[in-house]
Amino acid sequence: MSKHRLGELEEVVLLTVAILHGEAYGIAIVNEMEERLSRRISIGALQIVLRRLEKKGYLVSEFGEATKVRGGKRKRYFTVTNFGKEVLKETKDQRLSLWNAIPNISFGN
Amino acid sequence: MARELNSANMKNTTHTPPPKWPLRFFRWFCHPAYVEDIEGDLQERFVLLIEEMGLRKARWRFVMEVLLLFRPGLIRSINIFPEFIHPGMLKHNLLITYRGFLKDKTTFLINLIGLSTGLAGALLIYFWVHDEVSVDKFHEKDSQLYQVMINMEDHRGVQTWEKSPLPLIKALQEEFPEVESGTFINNSFLPKGKIRHGEQSTQANRLFVSEDFFDVFSYDLIQGDKDQVLAGRDNMVISKRLALQLFDSTEEVIGKTIEWSHPYYEEFNGFFQISGIFEDPPANATEQFDAVIHYDLMVKNDPPATRWSSTPGTNYLILQEGTDIKRFNDKFANYLAAKDDSWEGSTQFVQQYSKRYLYGTYENGVQAGGRIEYVKLFSIIALFILLIACINFMNLSTAQASRKMKEIGVKKTMGATKRALVIQFLSESMLMVTLSFIVATGLISVFLPQFNIITGKELKWGLALSPFLAIAGILLLTGLVAGSYPAFYLSHFKPVAVLKGEHRTSSREYWMRRGLVVFQFALSVIFIVGVAVVDQQMQYTQTKNMGYSRDNVISFQRPRHDDDLEIFLAKLRELPGVTNASNMGGNILSGWSDDNGFSLKGQESEEKWDFKSPQIGYDMIETLGMNMLEGRSFSRAHKDDRSKIIISESAQKMMQLAEPIGHVITNGIVDYEIIGVVEDFHYGSLHKEKKPLFFRFHIWSLNTMIKITPGTEQATIAKVEELYKEFHPEDAFNFTFLDEDNQRLYEAESRVAILSKYFGGLAIVISCLGLFGLVAFTAERRSKEIGIRKILGSSVWGIIRLLSTDFTKMILIGILIALPISYLITQTWLNNFAYKIDLEWWYFAGTALMTLLIAWSVIGLQTVKTARLNPVKCLRDE
Repeated sequence: MSKHRLGELEEVVLLTVAILHGEAYGIAIVNEMEERLSRRISIGALQIVLRRLEKKGYLVSEFGEATKVRGGKRKRYFTVTNFGKEVLKETKDQRLSLWNAIPNISFGN
Repeated sequence: MARELNSANMKNTTHTPPPKWPLRFFRWFCHPAYVEDIEGDLQERFVLLIEEMGLRKARWRFVMEVLLLFRPGLIRSINIFPEFIHPGMLKHNLLITYRGFLKDKTTFLINLIGLSTGLAGALLIYFWVHDEVSVDKFHEKDSQLYQVMINMEDHRGVQTWEKSPLPLIKALQEEFPEVESGTFINNSFLPKGKIRHGEQSTQANRLFVSEDFFDVFSYDLIQGDKDQVLAGRDNMVISKRLALQLFDSTEEVIGKTIEWSHPYYEEFNGFFQISGIFEDPPANATEQFDAVIHYDLMVKNDPPATRWSSTPGTNYLILQEGTDIKRFNDKFANYLAAKDDSWEGSTQFVQQYSKRYLYGTYENGVQAGGRIEYVKLFSIIALFILLIACINFMNLSTAQASRKMKEIGVKKTMGATKRALVIQFLSESMLMVTLSFIVATGLISVFLPQFNIITGKELKWGLALSPFLAIAGILLLTGLVAGSYPAFYLSHFKPVAVLKGEHRTSSREYWMRRGLVVFQFALSVIFIVGVAVVDQQMQYTQTKNMGYSRDNVISFQRPRHDDDLEIFLAKLRELPGVTNASNMGGNILSGWSDDNGFSLKGQESEEKWDFKSPQIGYDMIETLGMNMLEGRSFSRAHKDDRSKIIISESAQKMMQLAEPIGHVITNGIVDYEIIGVVEDFHYGSLHKEKKPLFFRFHIWSLNTMIKITPGTEQATIAKVEELYKEFHPEDAFNFTFLDEDNQRLYEAESRVAILSKYFGGLAIVISCLGLFGLVAFTAERRSKEIGIRKILGSSVWGIIRLLSTDFTKMILIGILIALPISYLITQTWLNNFAYKIDLEWWYFAGTALMTLLIAWSVIGLQTVKTARLNPVKCLRDE
């Protein structure tokens, strides 16, 4: 399954969407990432990643409700697909296997 | 967690809208599928940001966010005009247009003929204008290349000369830092001479120039080094054409010797060594020459040419880039006066060389137009012709709006935007223009040779970039002008009203269409009046009694008189068919030679008289059929000599002599005795005023004139040539008819006359085409009304009147507007002539009547047909 490779930002965004679980829309994701990772990204950077993930089939989206503060514009909620979950899991496994392969010496403790 | 805004927050932020322009920009570029939710995010974020950092910073952040959204994944597809670039839509538009053409072939043909002839006419004029404007512009240093001019004031006013002293060129380069380099040219010293190498010989003309000639002017050298070619005094640089004629090649020509000879200017004959070959001067160069040599030879034979007081040729300067011409001219103005006393009262100035062709006329020392006036005139004519053709298209398309109404209504109901419709109609007019252009191309190829003959140009269908771009521009402009009004007019219909059939033609549209027809006919009338006046004036110049007879008179130049003049003339007179023969200096049409400052001998007064002073031999007055009023003409019996003159009637009037015969006039240098008075005649062209004149006697003039018995021209001229060959076996016999020479004087005007005839005709034809289309359409629209009227007892005449009254009114208004304008224009043109026709009322009345008649016949053609229609036919079908 090595052909499904996630970029770093892609992975973070995908994970954040998963964390928000059904509440993931643009600004919510931005805020969540800021809070958890102290990482501020622009709407543009986020949106482009979201669309790419959607195109790859890791995410699906649907329109939700509109609020006044949004100028009457609807939210677009993203959810992680099963395929997306698999890819996330796979990425995690790969990382773990890499971690496990590190001899203890190299960290010196 | 701030992932949902709580209600308290929401209340705190009274809606501050985000900056308008960035948001608009975002909406424009963002992919339509993403606009909504991303915009929502932006707004939400903006509210948060205001809380966090205040309004001002939040705004900046907002702009940044928008800019960061501008990336390939999120912006819309590049299709900026998806509606009509879309192949399906384009195909649809073409199909609809094509069906429209098929359905209404008359309109299609009218549009095609009108637009294509209009385009062809306009493009021909464009080619001509392009060529005129490009004259002498090909020199590399064109923007720095200037010519020295001199304004000289005398009692007749300020005269502008283009010739200046020879030493000027060196002095200017030394004394004025602005002058980079310069050259001297003499181009009028010599007629064409014979140039010979071995067996090969040909005629060629040459320029006398200074060393820097090829530096200053961009006549490219194929052979030879431009700094060296004119170094030797017996060097000659020849044109490629001449090299090919003499040697059949441009290779290995350098160093060869050629002989120059002219039977009359023997002192300039001699052998020259070829030092270089230059490309033939292009067709758009005013200076056409075959060879150049150093001016040294000219100076050798005419030493006074080097004096500051003489003006043997023209001086050209290359000025430093960025030179302030006004300041240079100020500095230069009194330069010559300081060099030589004879220049007292003169001012000098420089004029850009490439402007000399178009702006060649000076009046009283001030630039006063020139060819540029004709360039402007014809540009305007081209524009108007195109406009008339466009108006046809506009009128016919809007008139037929009713036919398109249903289509537009349905399309709009189905969701077509106004823009899509505008684009549809514009593409229709573009297609029409493109088709017309194809037809126009054919027309141009057919008429270009004829057009070249009339204009005296060598225009070709060039593929040069600038005309190509210009043509594309002209087409685009035509399409837009023709299509824009109908497009915007048709696309603004309200679909509901249109589909219900409630659409009414608004009064604005009514006046617009009428206004356009009025405009068309006003233009046509102006053109026709112009043509009529130009034509009458040309007739007048050809037939006006000049005071002498120019019919059946031929003139030619003898190369020289040895002591055989009287024998030659006597033998000429003996030839059968020759009525008389004589000689004169210069030509009676050139108006050459002045003598100034005369008064009666013995009573020198303050008032001095100036005269034109042609020189004639025996019998000239008789040969040209002039009338002697008093005294006698020069005669052998009286052994006349240079001291005798014959004055003209107006000279007698000026001098106020009741009995002039026997009086002697003097200018302090020579005395002339008056022996006769001749009836006034025109010396020179009709552009100039008739001036007081006296004939001087000069037996040795070279220009020979012969009066021939009518009907025997061919045989007689053959005999004259035989005789000429007896006297001058080596020289060519070139003769001209005096009346043809006379025509040549008015060449520029007669070109205008012929061209304006064609284009005036074109204008009225196109206007009438449009009128025809409109009438046909109106008649068809009202066919039911006409049917009912006929059933109720209206006569055919009644119907015709009904249909044509409206159009007649429009045309009459057009005529009324046009007449005063055309009067002004023609009067201005006629002021170019000292002797001109009077503008008679019937030129205008005739034109008005003619226009009306033409228009009526066009209207009548259609209305009669409609009026005679069986009412049953038009009422039956529904």
